[in-house]
Parts: sequence; structure tokens; C-alpha cells
Amino acid sequence: MGLPSVKEFVRPGTLDEALELLRERGERAWPIGGGIDLVLFAPREVETVVDLGRLPLRYVRENEGRISIGAIATLREVLESPVVRDYLGGVIPEMLHQVASPLLRNLATIGGTLVSANPWSDVITLFLALGADVVLSDGKTRTIPLEKLYPARALRATILTEVRLPSSARESAAAFWKFSRTAFDVALLNCATFVRMVGGRCVEARVVAGGTPQLGARLPRAEACLVGSGLDDSSIERAAEAARESADVREDRRASADYRRELVLVGVKRSLHEARGRLAGGER
Amino acid sequence: MKISLTVNGAQRAFDVHPGDTLLEVLRREGYKGVKKGCGAGDCGACAVLLDGRAVNSCLVLAGKADGSEVLTIEGLSKDGALHPLQEAFLDEGAVQCGYCTPGMIIASLDLLTHHPDPNEEEIREGIAGNLCRCTGYTKELRAIQAAAEKMREARHG
Ligand SMILES: Cc1cc2nc3c(=O)[nH]c(=O)nc-3n(C[C@H](O)[C@H](O)[C@H](O)COP(=O)(O)OP(=O)(O)OC[C@H]3O[C@@H](n4cnc5c(N)ncnc54)[C@H](O)[C@@H]3O)c2cc1C
Ligand code: FES
Ligand code: FES
Repeated sequence: MGLPSVKEFVRPGTLDEALELLRERGERAWPIGGGIDLVLFAPREVETVVDLGRLPLRYVRENEGRISIGAIATLREVLESPVVRDYLGGVIPEMLHQVASPLLRNLATIGGTLVSANPWSDVITLFLALGADVVLSDGKTRTIPLEKLYPARALRATILTEVRLPSSARESAAAFWKFSRTAFDVALLNCATFVRMVGGRCVEARVVAGGTPQLGARLPRAEACLVGSGLDDSSIERAAEAARESADVREDRRASADYRRELVLVGVKRSLHEARGRLAGGER
Repeated sequence: MKISLTVNGAQRAFDVHPGDTLLEVLRREGYKGVKKGCGAGDCGACAVLLDGRAVNSCLVLAGKADGSEVLTIEGLSKDGALHPLQEAFLDEGAVQCGYCTPGMIIASLDLLTHHPDPNEEEIREGIAGNLCRCTGYTKELRAIQAAAEKMREARHG
């Protein structure tokens, strides 16, 4: 229990101080948001814990329809924020209600959740579909698509400070679908879809499947079936088939690859129907 | 390292190892009402209120709680009088072995503080992170409903 290798626990008040500590201490220093994964996985090399909890990054804001969430906002704070309540038909709270438990949502931060890259992550699956960007700082600040964060994983002496969601254009909709054995278990599979329509034609689509059991990833072949279509039943059907064929599903102790392949089909289909219903319902 | 906490209303200072969890510190200091079950976020037996919100104390590094207010099950009764949640758990027979009970009550307290009038589904979600191996949850559900009612009445005088 606990982390016996830890020699130092620090709580910097500014981003510069936090980065300075990470640079100075090198690989033995780990930043934490909630610290859940650090305690659970207890990496042996960690000697300094840099708690980001005092940085001024605890907010959920809206500016001209765009949403910015500070890295140390907890999942609960995001879930309860009036700012995300109506964003794309309320898809963010809908997803967050299905993440872990209220106790854990009080602790987990959005920054820690995105950086952890846990393959079962529901948050990452949806945020990929929403086209989120993340703001990183290593002294200099840069903004990159969330998608680009994962191949480049090793965040050395870098802090994710904020996640940004694009303004939800009219005639766009999103939906999230999770399949798990119990309300609290991690997903056997999750998926999220986003569509934007212009004059009845789909001009932009993102289809993401996660917990496959790898980390959420887009399915370009499924997306290609949607763009240009009127989002009719047959194009949804084709997209779901393409998703089933192209998703990189595997076996783990929770489910077989074959079972997951069927889940991809069902998940993508239901999620697209849900999104289409939201368009028809006149939601943003 | 030294940390100072307000535990159940009393200002306390503790000497802790920087890798200690809040659960370890609280139990070491005698707050044995805080239970250790899984140590991994799955069971909720270790739940305490940290600055008003229920968390799994087995996953909180003690340093994170420095300067915060902590409420454990021991701090719920006032002058010997049980909290409405504690009373309701007794009245409804929602306690069998009792190992899950402190965590269950702390999670319910967070729920009822922020949602005084939850429906059944909201109550179920509120205790989704608290495992009980004995009761089957039905009696806890009833106890939380009964407590919610009492607490609303108390609020409205
Ligand atoms: C029992 C259980 C069930 C769960 N179920 C689900 C579920 O169903 N769905 C789901 O989506 N999630 C689930 N989770 C939550 C998820 O797995 C992570 O544990 C959680 O999101 C981590 O958040 P954190 O803030 O505590 O991260 P931390 O532990 O603080 O950080 C995680 C990693 O990111 C780094 N880091 C943290 N913050 C930053 C930052 N701002 N910049 C750079 N690096 C940073 C840390 O060094 C660490 O490597 C579950 C967790 C548990 C314990
Ligand atoms: S002991 Fe903390 S959740 Fe089980
Ligand atoms: S009463 Fe025994 S675990 Fe709940």
C-alpha cells in the first residue's frame, strides 16, 4: 500500500514552478491530477510527486460556443457544469454518468484522464469523436489535436493544461455508447460518433471505438461511408459494417475478439441512430 | 513530512511518509471507521468526505489532503445523536456485517447534500462505487430514501 519509493510530495502554485520541478527531477518526478493511476500502478521509479492540484487550472468555461476545461477540473465538476449540459445534446454528462463511480469521479481529473491513455477510457473515446484539442506546456505552449497526443505519448516535463472542444455548429450531433457487464465495470467496448450536416448531407463524420481492448481510435473507413450521405438507414448500415471489418479488436479476459467485432457493429449503428435522432430533434 | 487536516471538525497535524495514502494515515491515527477493502477504488469501504465530496481514501495521497477538511463516519453524530442517515440505516435493517456501511453512508451523504431529493435511479448511481456483500442493496436504498425525507424535513423546519 502507498508508494514506498516516494521521497517528496510537492504542490507547486504556478505552472512555471511545476515545470521547473519536473525538469530538475527528471524521470523520477511524476505530475498528478487525482493521482489514482499513480497509486494503483505504483511505478517503482517515482521519487517525487508533483501534485498539480493547486495550479489555477480548475475551470470549465465557454467562449463563443467553444468549451475549455482546465486540466485539474474533476470529472464530477465537468459532469455538473452548466457549460457542458447542452453541448451537442448533453453527450458529455451522458458519457460521464457511465464512468467509474461518483467517488472516483470526485477524484479523477480531466487532465490525468486524458494523459493516462487507459485503453478502457470512455472520456478519450468521446473526446476523440468530438475533435478535442489539448494545450500542452513545457515552458512553451502548443495546442495539438487530442489524436496526436497518443502516438507521441512520452510527455517529458510537459503538462497538459487544458482541453478544448470546438463550438458545436448547427446541424451537428454526437452520441456515446458503452457496453459493460455491470454499471461500474469498464467497457467491453465503447464507441462515439459525431456528424455534421449541411443541407441534409453529411459533411463531416468521426467514428471512434475504444476498449477494443486498445485505446479509442477513429475508424476512417466507417467515416467515409457517412460523408456525402444523407445519413439514411443504408449508409448507417454500411458504416457499421465497415466499422466491424476495420476495427482492430482483440481478445482479453473480458471478451473474445469475435464478440467485440459484433459489439462494434451494434455500437456504431446505435450511436449513429442516436446522433441522427438528435439532429431531427432540432438539438444543436 | 507534516500535514495538517481538519478531521471531523478538529484541527490535527500528522507526520506522514510522502507516499502514504490518506486511508493509511487515518487508520493509523485511530479513525478505524474508515475501512480498507480492495485498496483499488473498487469497493468504496474507504470513502471519506474530502472538502465536502466523497472520495476513495485508498487512492488519495495524504499530501493531497494537506489543508483540507476530512469527514469520516466517526464525525457524523452530533452530541451523541446519530445522523439521520445512520438512524435510517438502523431502522431499515440496512446493516448486516457492517463492513461497507461507513463508506455507504459517506457516499450517501455526498449524494443527499448535493441532491436532497434524488429518485431511485439517482440513489443507485450515488452508491454505484460501494460494494455490499450482505444486504442486496434494497434495504440501503430504502434507508437512503428515508434519510432523504428526514433531512428535507429538518431543513424546512
Ligand atoms: C476502479 C476504477 C474504475 C474505473 N472505471 C473507468 C471507466 O469505466 N471509464 C473511464 O473512462 N475511466 C475509468 N476509471 C478512471 C481512469 O481509469 C483513471 O484512473 C482516471 O481517469 C485517472 O485520473 P487521475 O486524475 O487520477 O490521473 P493521475 O493518476 O493523476 O494521472 C494519470 C497519468 O497522467 C499523468 N498526468 C496527470 N495529470 C497530468 C497533466 N495535467 N499533464 C501531464 N500529465 C499528467 C500522471 O503522471 C499519470 O501518468 C476507473 C478507475 C478506477 C480506479
Ligand atoms: S478500499 Fe478504497 S475502494 Fe476499496
Ligand atoms: S453489510 Fe456486509 S458488506 Fe454490506
